[in-house]
Amino acid sequence: MKFGRRLGPGAAPGPGGDAAIRAYHVSKSYAAGSFALRDVSLEVGRGEFVFLTGPSGAGKTSLLKLLFAAEDPSEGQILVLGRNVVRLGHRAVPDLRRRVGVVFQDFKLLERRTIEENVGLALDVVGTPRRDARAKVFAILKQLGLQHRRHHHPLSLSGGEQQRVAIARALVNEPEVLLADEPTGNLDPDLTVEIMDIIASAATRGTTVLVATHELGLVSRYGKRTVRLEGGRIVEDSRPRGSTA
Amino acid sequence: MRWLAARSLYFGRTALRGISASPVTSAVAVATIAVCLVLAGAFALLLFNMEGLLDRFGGDLHVTAYLEPGLPAESQRELADLAHSVEGVAAVRLVSEQEAFERFRSGVAHGAAYLDGLGENPLPASLEITLVPARQNSAGMAVVVESLDGLPGVEELNSGQDWVEGYLRALALVRGLGLGLGVILGVATLLIVANTIRLAVVARRDEIEILSLVGASPGFVRGPFLLEGLLQGAVGGVVALVLLFGLFSLGLPGFAFGLELVLGGAVPNFFSVAQALALVAGGAFLGLLGAGAALAGGLRS
Repeated sequence: MKFGRRLGPGAAPGPGGDAAIRAYHVSKSYAAGSFALRDVSLEVGRGEFVFLTGPSGAGKTSLLKLLFAAEDPSEGQILVLGRNVVRLGHRAVPDLRRRVGVVFQDFKLLERRTIEENVGLALDVVGTPRRDARAKVFAILKQLGLQHRRHHHPLSLSGGEQQRVAIARALVNEPEVLLADEPTGNLDPDLTVEIMDIIASAATRGTTVLVATHELGLVSRYGKRTVRLEGGRIVEDSRPRGSTA
Repeated sequence: MRWLAARSLYFGRTALRGISASPVTSAVAVATIAVCLVLAGAFALLLFNMEGLLDRFGGDLHVTAYLEPGLPAESQRELADLAHSVEGVAAVRLVSEQEAFERFRSGVAHGAAYLDGLGENPLPASLEITLVPARQNSAGMAVVVESLDGLPGVEELNSGQDWVEGYLRALALVRGLGLGLGVILGVATLLIVANTIRLAVVARRDEIEILSLVGASPGFVRGPFLLEGLLQGAVGGVVALVLLFGLFSLGLPGFAFGLELVLGGAVPNFFSVAQALALVAGGAFLGLLGAGAALAGGLRS
C-alpha cells in the first residue's frame, strides 16, 4: 500500500507547468462587503507540501472549501488537478473529490460504523469490490498502526487514533491532493507530531499536501513552504532555503 | 459487473442499516402502508369477484321468447327457425307446453301432487335462445331482443338484461369508490413514506456529508434511501397480503349475507398469484415513489 501518485521523494513543483493547485485572483464573500478571501492567487506544485497559516478568521478554511468544491468563489478562477473548479458541473464534483482527500479538525467519522467501515466509505463510492476494499483498508490501517482497532467504533478510540482513521479514509483512495484543515487542532502536542508525520509522509510519496494550521511551532518544525493569510489576503509566501520556487 | 455487485451490496447493507437504526419509524411506515393496502386490496378483491361473477353468468345469459297459447306446432317451429336466423343467435331450442309443464313438475318436487288438480296445462311453449359469445352481454342482448320483439306469435320476451344492467351499475359504483379510495390511500402512503425517508435523511445528514466529501455521486447517496422506501413498501405489501388472506379465510363467513347480495351465492376467490404479486409490487412502487418525493428537493452536499 502506498500513498498517492508517485513523483518521487522531494519532487520539486514546477513553476506552474505541473501545478496541482492554481488560484487566480480568488475572492469569497458571504455577505455584501464582508470578504473571507480577497484577491488570493496561489500555485502549489504536484507533490509539494504547503502550510497555510494565519489567525482564526484569516480565510484558511474558506480557501480549502473552495479547493474541494464545497463552495464557489465569488470572483476568480481555481484549477485543481487541471480542472476548473468554478466551472465544474455538479456531476463532475464527485470525480474531483475522489482525487482530493480531505481531513478535518473534528475527524468527521460515523459513530455507528466500525473503523473499517469508516475508512471503506471512500472505496465504496468508487465501487471497489468488497474483498479488495477490505485488503486496502487493512493495509492503510496497518501503516497507521490501527489494524487491530478496525472492528472498533470511533468513540472507543482516542482523539489521535480517530484522526489517524480520518487520515486513513482520506488516503485509502490514493488521492493526488490531500487537504487538511487544522488536523491537529484537537490533539495534544505528542499526538500533533504523530499526525503531522503521517501527513508529511504522504507528501514524500508524491501527494500534494496543503495543511491549514494556526500552530506556528508546527510550521517551524517541518520547515516547509508556508503561505500566511490575514484578513483574507496572502501576506507572506515563504519557502524553505534550498527549495525551488 | 463486480462494480455493480459492490454497489448493490453497499445499497442493500446501508438501507437495512437505516431501517434498523430507526425501527419504530420504519415499523410505523410499514404498518401504515399495510393498512392502506389492506383497504385498497379489499376493494380490489370485491371488484375482481364481482367481475368474475359477471363473466361466469355471461355464459348462461339467454333470451326466452314465450309464445302465444294455442300456436300450432308448425308455427312454433317456423318461429324457432326465424329466431335462429337473427344475427347474434347461436342456438334456439323449442320448449313445448308439455315439456314446460314436466320441467315445472320436476322443479316443485313434493308439491307435484297439487299440479294434478289442474284441469289443463297453463304453461306456454317457449323458445330458449342462446347468444353467440360476443353478444353475451347487456348490449348484445338488447340487439337480439329488439330483433325478436313484435314477431307474430311471440307474446313476451324475457332476458337477464335488466339484471345485467343493474349489476353493471353496482360494479361501476364499486369500481369508482375503489378508484377514489385507492387514490386517497395512495397519496397518504406516499406522504407517509416521504416523511419517513425525510426523517432518515435528517438522521443521517452526517453520513451524507461525509459521503459527499469522499466523492459520492448524488445517485450513490440517494440509492440506499430509495431502496429503503422500496423495501418498506414491499414489506407493507406482504403484510397487507397476509392480513387480507387472514381476513378472507377467517372473517368471510361473518359477511356471508352481504356477499350473497353482491355475489349471488358464488364462492368468492382470493387473489391469484399474479394479483398477489402485483399488490406487493404496488406497495414497493409506492414506497419507491414516496422516497423519490422525499429526495426530490435534493440532498445537501
